[in-house]
Amino acid sequence: MALDQGSRIETVVIGAGHNGLVAAAALAGQGARVTVLEQADAPGGMMAAGHLIWNLHPAAMEALGTEAQALGLDGPALPTTALDPGGRHVVIEGDDARLAGGEPHPQAAVYRTLCERFRRFAGVLAPLTLGPPPRLGEGWLTGPGLAELRGLGRLGLDIRRLGRREMQEFLRVAYSNVADVLLAEMPDGPLAASLAFDGVLGARMGPRSPGTVLTLLYRHLGGSGRRRPEGGMATLARRMAEAAEARGASIRYGARASGLLIAGDRVLGVGVEGQESIPAHAVFSSLGAGPTLALAGVEHFDAEVCRRVRNLRAEGVTARLDLTLSDMPRIEGLDARHTQGRLLLAPSVAAMEASFDPVKYGRMPDAPAVEALVEPVEGGARLSALIQPVPNAPGGGWSDGARGAAIETVVALIDRALPGLADTVTGAALDTPSDIEARTAAPGGHWHHGEFAVDQMLMLRPVNGMGHYRTGLPGLWLCGAGAHPGGDVTGLPGRNAALAALAEGVRR
Amino acid sequence: MNRAERPRASAAPPVPRGLVGTPFEPRLRDLSVAHAWADWSGRLSPSVLVEVEAEYFSIRNQASLFDISPMRKYRISGPDAARVADRLVTRSVGGLEPGRVAYVLWCDEDGMVIDDGTLFRLGDDDFRLCCQERQLGWLCDVAWGFDARIGDETDDIAALALQGPTAFAVLEAAGLDVPSLRPFDFAEPEPGLTVSRTGFTGDLGYELWVRPDAALALWDRLWSAGETFGLRAIGSAALEIARIEAGFIQTGVDFQSIHAVERASRGRTPFELGLGRLVDFRKGHFNGRRALARHAVAGPRRRLVMLDIDGSKPARDALVHVGARREAGHVTSAVWAPTAKRSIAFAELAAAHAASDALRAEIYLQKEGKWERRWVRATVTDRAVWRPARARRTPPDRR
Repeated sequence: MALDQGSRIETVVIGAGHNGLVAAAALAGQGARVTVLEQADAPGGMMAAGHLIWNLHPAAMEALGTEAQALGLDGPALPTTALDPGGRHVVIEGDDARLAGGEPHPQAAVYRTLCERFRRFAGVLAPLTLGPPPRLGEGWLTGPGLAELRGLGRLGLDIRRLGRREMQEFLRVAYSNVADVLLAEMPDGPLAASLAFDGVLGARMGPRSPGTVLTLLYRHLGGSGRRRPEGGMATLARRMAEAAEARGASIRYGARASGLLIAGDRVLGVGVEGQESIPAHAVFSSLGAGPTLALAGVEHFDAEVCRRVRNLRAEGVTARLDLTLSDMPRIEGLDARHTQGRLLLAPSVAAMEASFDPVKYGRMPDAPAVEALVEPVEGGARLSALIQPVPNAPGGGWSDGARGAAIETVVALIDRALPGLADTVTGAALDTPSDIEARTAAPGGHWHHGEFAVDQMLMLRPVNGMGHYRTGLPGLWLCGAGAHPGGDVTGLPGRNAALAALAEGVRR
Repeated sequence: MNRAERPRASAAPPVPRGLVGTPFEPRLRDLSVAHAWADWSGRLSPSVLVEVEAEYFSIRNQASLFDISPMRKYRISGPDAARVADRLVTRSVGGLEPGRVAYVLWCDEDGMVIDDGTLFRLGDDDFRLCCQERQLGWLCDVAWGFDARIGDETDDIAALALQGPTAFAVLEAAGLDVPSLRPFDFAEPEPGLTVSRTGFTGDLGYELWVRPDAALALWDRLWSAGETFGLRAIGSAALEIARIEAGFIQTGVDFQSIHAVERASRGRTPFELGLGRLVDFRKGHFNGRRALARHAVAGPRRRLVMLDIDGSKPARDALVHVGARREAGHVTSAVWAPTAKRSIAFAELAAAHAASDALRAEIYLQKEGKWERRWVRATVTDRAVWRPARARRTPPDRR
């Protein structure tokens, strides 16, 4: 099983989720031989937990050697309709907010100003996401270190370049909570809640949790609008897999990594359940930090790193509900384009915060925020809904009773906004955080493999001592959402990890 | 966590205030004339019982008895105990036989020393670690993910150090027959009593370990057996002289535990402490291994050395210079070594100057209210200033 030093670089990527695929394509694109191991029978991993794409990064598509059109992401951006219990629905397209009746929203100007400001602020952070996080105080005199130092210097310059008032505002709000920042500018309601929703989706946070402005800014990095991928998330995943294969990566489905081959404090390959093990110069794990550590064996890591990984906050509170409907629902005052757009059931920031409270104590809220997509299908319609938040493990776990009750709660909630819908439901499937964890091994079923918060970002992501995509164990790299810059379907952790490893020399 | 039940105040055992006595407290109080007590990890420990000089000379010329019950004692047991021990310490535990003791160091992820201590291998899957500082949280961290239990036995075991050239004779007179114990061996001559040939004096000596309820009986037994062999109870001040003379370093004095400092730069590697021989890179991963491998290549930043200092004035807290005025480091502990009859000191020097033959110590002395400064020559010397052959002879001399 020896590796020939003269031959190509042999790599294994664990997981064919979006980050695994982008990493594989980036490695293959640089001439490495890449084998991707995916335990499921199809690619995509965590992608199945969502239903929209809004920030798959152009650099990731470049690594895949493909573009939006080939991936089915060139359709028009979906309009968002923030549904109002009183019927004054708000239609949002780009930075434009108006009432569903056509008249301008009273806060339209404020909304536009806020969106523009968030985009400017996000622009300051954007360069940080395109490479390894900056180092602090060590390794600056190395080649990559100098590049990172320049990046850090540029961040400072970019903040200064915002201008004095904007800079003060950036530094004031960066670690603040989204509720305070929004409600200082506009009254509470569906429009404010639509932005608050972007600050908390996928995270175990309420709009009043510190750090939610940062998550909001990260979400606005792409800023190119939300799209429903042509054919759905599974189709997008398949197209990404095909792109990676076209770059030269070979993907094995139904192949579960059973452990790492390690000798002389170096990873030499990956064991595959029921198959021959694969020798490798470098192994890229798109798993979370905890599962990666367990795969290698804790004995290969220092106790401090194990402690930090053990204490990493990763408690998913986002679920997806899929409903089969016998009839296409109708919403009074909304045309078909908007009804089939993005529907947001979040009446106010206050209601979102209130729905987060029971979740902290393991209870299902009465009225979580819901992002729904409806599309007509043969003989009826299909609705997918992201529910934010649900408890990670209600009363200790997702029993059949808890699932049934959660479905009932959410269907009733949607029924109030889309009257008559409950009577048309012919099938319901709930994807809870524990289902996500069982399917993808994501710690806690968390979208981002680890809470996205100030103490778990940049060089501290996933944990101090495992930043910069390195695990400490030579030859083992992190390339998943748990690594910098984090979650959502951006593909950046995978791309950055591959490039960082190649830059440092994977054989070292 | 909010979920944790807060214990009701009335249900908790009363928390003792101030220093807590050890099982030997009644005997120590009876013997104490100086009433000089020190805080050793929250326990009452004599610094001097009667007179420091007499106590020191009992270590070197007769036999001395020192209460080491405050020493922290941890049990590591279970199927993975040996793996946990090897993960914890920098040297290899694999070759340590049951019935043997090893002097060990352990490091953090950056290769900085946390503490040193003695590791007793009680069985294949059973170890006891004795050390100066509290380590329970750290040991639990190191053992996480392994099938091993960590127990704090500090209060379950009382211990005495019986040290000095007549120590073996005292044991024999007390009916404890351990002639075949080699240095770093231990045995259980009687059920419930463990005797190890270990110590902190560099001389012949033993440490005895018993249950707390058997502590006073052991003391009395040794005390009456020691009458004709000059046995004397001692405090930590006498031991401090002996340990410097023997070239043993002390955590918190000669180096700072990385867990006890705020400034990361105060941490020291085993190489910098002159204990590189205790780092075994061949045994697989252990805590701090990768960082230590880098330090081994980069070389030490500083070196802890033993200095022989001209004159007779103890060089406590002295700065050490190279040449005329260039600061090379500082003294960490110093003493006039009464047996070796030399002024000696542990000093931490910049690595570049550690081999210099132009070292000078800047010593400040207070003479009846007046400060004087002395510049004296300092020479790097072997750290074991006092290590007599009798310390290693087996079976030991009776004298």
